[in-house]
Amino acid sequence: MPSSLEHAATHPATVLSELAFQRLYEANSTNIHSYLLAVSNRRDVADDLLQETFCRLLLHPKSTAHLNPLELRRYLFRIATNLLRDRHRSGDTTPYADPPEPSTHPALDASLNNSIDIRAMLQALKPRDRELLWLAYVEGMDHAEISSATGLNRLSVRTLLFRARNKAKQFLAPGSPSL
Amino acid sequence: MNTTNKPTNPGAPGPDSGTWVHTNPTDDNLRRALRTYAATLSADHTPPPAAAILFRAERRRRRLAIQRAERPLLIMQTLGTLFAFCAAAWLLYRFAPHTLPTLNPTTLELAIACTALVLTGCWAMLQASRNPSA
Repeated sequence: MPSSLEHAATHPATVLSELAFQRLYEANSTNIHSYLLAVSNRRDVADDLLQETFCRLLLHPKSTAHLNPLELRRYLFRIATNLLRDRHRSGDTTPYADPPEPSTHPALDASLNNSIDIRAMLQALKPRDRELLWLAYVEGMDHAEISSATGLNRLSVRTLLFRARNKAKQFLAPGSPSL
Repeated sequence: MNTTNKPTNPGAPGPDSGTWVHTNPTDDNLRRALRTYAATLSADHTPPPAAAILFRAERRRRRLAIQRAERPLLIMQTLGTLFAFCAAAWLLYRFAPHTLPTLNPTTLELAIACTALVLTGCWAMLQASRNPSA
């Protein structure tokens, strides 16, 4: 007869099988990792929070069993956003020694690269502004989806996104490289 | 990365439409710049392998299971320590070389209740250890 520990260690994960998890991970990990990298600006933090995000999903599989892939994606972004906020509240905002460099990739648009330092722009914004801009512009989420992914009120999302966008646009304006 | 391009025509509904919020060329520039940055990030920084997360979740699950299993033990250990401390204090007080008052009925009832609680807890733990899959 297996012990209670062995039973607990092997059976609860059957709701989300390893194969299903790997598919889910392949479909969402890159997006969430980039999001975490852009908001935290630290590779180690992004790696850790990404693992923690999916860990929480694995530890509570029943609460997500009824979600469709889109809802699950928003749910994952919600976990990641909450983890980022927890980290920010804890005061661990030490800049990473080797932040993500956007200008080294050959696919980068040279004209944009010359005029906009996106990384500097993101660093100058508040974490919440970074989150909102990223979810709206990179992930292509609408207000309702952003509200679901961040836990903010939908009307607040509209206002906060408007403000964040205005701050970001100052970088787009020629001759105004800083906020 | 989500590469689906949503319409960005200038005549599209504004931020209050709830569908899409980027309507002018400046928004397009910002979106393009952010997406290019996102593409660069995802190309330069690959996420950790899924196996690492499965391993971490498994380790966490085991730790939680151990904590769950040890919780009654911890409670009973605390109660036992408290009871032993009270009993020692009472014994010291009882056998001290001076005239001692006897226990009043309330204190005696409390001591009996504590003893019963500890013995019941020990019995429950003994039963639980005999049936680990329960």
